[in-house]
Amino acid sequence: MTLSPRRFAKPGRLIPAGTGETVIRVLLLSCAGLAVITIFFILAFLLRDGYPIFLETGTTDFLFGTEWNPTGYPVAQFGIIPLIAGTLCVTLGAMAIAVPLGISCAICIARLAPPAVRAVVKPAIELLAGIPSVVYGFFGLIVLTDWIRATFGVPSGESWLAGSIILGIMALPTIISVSEDAISCVPREFAEGSLALGATHWQTIARVIVPGALPGISAAVILGMGRAIGETMAVLMVTGNAAIIPSPLWNVLSPVRTLTGTLGIEMGEVAAGTMHYHALFGVAVVLLAITLVVNLAATTIIGRLREQYAPGKMLGRAVPGILRVPRLSPGVREWAQKVLLVAILSLIGLPFAGIAGYCGCAFLFSLAALSWRRVTPRTTQKIAFFLISAATAAVLLILAVILSDILVKGLPALSIEFLTEPPRDLGRSGGIFPAIVGTLYLVAGAIGLALPLGIGAAIYLSEYRTEGRLTKIVRTGTELLNGTPSIVFGLFGFAFLVLFLKFGVSLIAGQITLGLMILPTVIRTTEEALKGVPVSLREGSLALGATQWQTVSRVVIPPAVPGIVTGAILSIGRAAGETAPILFTAVVFSQRFLPDSPFSPVMALPYHLYILATNIPGAGANRYGTAVVLLLLVILFYAVAIGIRTHYQKNTHW
Amino acid sequence: MSHDTIIATEGLNLWYGDTRALADVSIQVPDRKVTALIGPSGCGKSTLIRCFNRMNDILPGCRIEGKVIFHGENIYDNGADPVSLRRRIGMVFQKPNPFPKSIYENVAYGPRIHGIRDRRILDSIVEESLRRAALWDEVRDRLSRSATSLSGGQQQRLCIARTLAVEPEVILMDEPCSALDPIATAKVEGLIDELKKQYCVIIVTHNMQQAARVSDYTGFMYLGRLIEFGGTTQIFESPRDELTENYITGRFG
Repeated sequence: MTLSPRRFAKPGRLIPAGTGETVIRVLLLSCAGLAVITIFFILAFLLRDGYPIFLETGTTDFLFGTEWNPTGYPVAQFGIIPLIAGTLCVTLGAMAIAVPLGISCAICIARLAPPAVRAVVKPAIELLAGIPSVVYGFFGLIVLTDWIRATFGVPSGESWLAGSIILGIMALPTIISVSEDAISCVPREFAEGSLALGATHWQTIARVIVPGALPGISAAVILGMGRAIGETMAVLMVTGNAAIIPSPLWNVLSPVRTLTGTLGIEMGEVAAGTMHYHALFGVAVVLLAITLVVNLAATTIIGRLREQYAPGKMLGRAVPGILRVPRLSPGVREWAQKVLLVAILSLIGLPFAGIAGYCGCAFLFSLAALSWRRVTPRTTQKIAFFLISAATAAVLLILAVILSDILVKGLPALSIEFLTEPPRDLGRSGGIFPAIVGTLYLVAGAIGLALPLGIGAAIYLSEYRTEGRLTKIVRTGTELLNGTPSIVFGLFGFAFLVLFLKFGVSLIAGQITLGLMILPTVIRTTEEALKGVPVSLREGSLALGATQWQTVSRVVIPPAVPGIVTGAILSIGRAAGETAPILFTAVVFSQRFLPDSPFSPVMALPYHLYILATNIPGAGANRYGTAVVLLLLVILFYAVAIGIRTHYQKNTHW
Repeated sequence: MSHDTIIATEGLNLWYGDTRALADVSIQVPDRKVTALIGPSGCGKSTLIRCFNRMNDILPGCRIEGKVIFHGENIYDNGADPVSLRRRIGMVFQKPNPFPKSIYENVAYGPRIHGIRDRRILDSIVEESLRRAALWDEVRDRLSRSATSLSGGQQQRLCIARTLAVEPEVILMDEPCSALDPIATAKVEGLIDELKKQYCVIIVTHNMQQAARVSDYTGFMYLGRLIEFGGTTQIFESPRDELTENYITGRFG
């Protein structure tokens, strides 16, 4: 074998490569730095505008006052107990619906469904997550409240129950996909061990797999709860918004008003600097604190879960400390089970079927409980699988009903004129062209801001990390912002961009607000995509003498591109469908012309739909037309994202 | 020792967090020879080899004291640059880690990042490196296929070719055959024998027969210390240290 002449100049000394690396490093660092500053700036600004109410009204009166009457005369009252009660009621109701359905559906997708079914159901559930909240609200307002009114014979169907059902549906995708992940992650050996002992499939699921996935399932429930608490538009449209505590407390047909709903309704009409204005920021701070606690709980649990299933770790402790149920004596446990059963039955039975149905249910359940011990495992399995499949079918049915209602009634309203002309007669006739353009402008601006900043910050965090203080701060900040309700961003945009910087209600204020809202998502999905690239590839490149940036740009980023793109598209979809952040920052209802500068206000599809549905009587066909355009636009983004992900998942082997 | 030393350590200590992984290691590695590091799992042999090209730098919580001298220069000096160092000290990892690119692009990656753009030069480097890694005949017709479509043994030889393409002076091999079957292992071992004509090769292995077959010098490590270092024949036939003898005769480890 001949030896070739050396082709590379050989530096005698080991001197650094040059300034290029440093420039890139500083650039990425400033992205990360900017992200941190923005994140904490938002928090600081909210507190700045919120704290006067705590001083003026007194913390106790504000947090525990039972009367919310901000425009009352002679004395305005700012007690947020009715609002907190509203949020709690609606959220708990939503969970009562979403948790059993969601977990059953997750078990079905992860363990029972044949691959072909799974391949259809999983993306369908993810699409459910993509439907904009204003579309859910629209459906709730037009179809659901009407159904409740007719079924229960009440004057108005806008109620706690309607809010719970809509929020329950909206929380389903989160609960299903996170639980499904957790269930799929339980090592196969566990299930095999149980099956090898002669357990049935169902026994294995109920006693080995689900307990093993319990931390993840709990996190799923908490995350779903966070989504429900933070939701604005849908709730606003279906709960009736009376700031009262339901009386009696279990009156699910009573109208309620949530924290988010209050912000959505009142922020647009309040004069800056008044007590009412500060009170609304106070509400935002409280809302932020609640979602913060909820999300921190979820991340902690997920963190522990990851630790637990980390390769090479013993799986001795199946359940982390906080979730471990104290060991009860058999007698006590039996009683606890009975109490729980009755509680669940009253939740399900009372509103839906009245006393008779409740008794019927109780009778059936006690019959089942009595005969339980005599039933063979095989029969139990049959019953359990039937219930689980029924729950999954119900979820799919809900999706089908919502989509078909909107598509069937909306598609006929579409026409070339509808898509290309400005609205006339307050949107009752004419088209939605300015709204489509406005939405595209808003989304383009938001992405233009969030994508470079977010990707830069994520690369810095994941590739240049020295797990130091900065990394920790950015990560905490992103986590804080990630769970923040979108209406809170709207409030920030209003106070800072519209008022403080004097942008006025304008396109640019909306773009920045939306950009900030999706920034955490972009950072997180990019970081996850980068983390998915095996360390061994980085080592392989570095060992060849590649610099950090050469390694990142040529080896780490290319395989991560699908993940990054997916994240970006999901963010686009989210930005296009959101209403709350642009409610007071960017949009006007009707405009004949397109915006001529970044400082003029715009129309946007979600807001247009909201106003048509709530404020304009007789806009029937155009309402559904707008809903269909918005729905198709967002679903298109989501479908592309899901498609990219599935394609690359199939074709990636390390 | 009769041969020139190319790389040496002086009183090298390394901690991962609070755990001391290397304790006062001093070793002089000769040029154009194969040096094997053996010892039971967790003895620090992989950690030591990763000190030679500063791959430990990227691990969080890692702290290093002492010197590693390469061409008379301490590679842990403040001004020393790990990037230009790694160009001159290549590494082959335990698990084959080809990039998710084509076979051609995998080998051309190194030359490209070091500034070679001319397609003809790249072509010749790729062919020559693949030939030297004894892989050319198996892949010459499918250079544009994905590297991940190769078998494990082929992937490992591709990683060796990739290392050769940047023409290093030292090649570090961290248990290069532990993920391979006996036939692929034999091919890689034959390759190592060829490589020592031109390079210094340092190989970590816990297969003692392999160390005996391929190496000229052997170091035995135990609990982060270099217990004994010498000619391979001497280490295997007349070890001076009792620990070495126990390990080689299979009494522990």
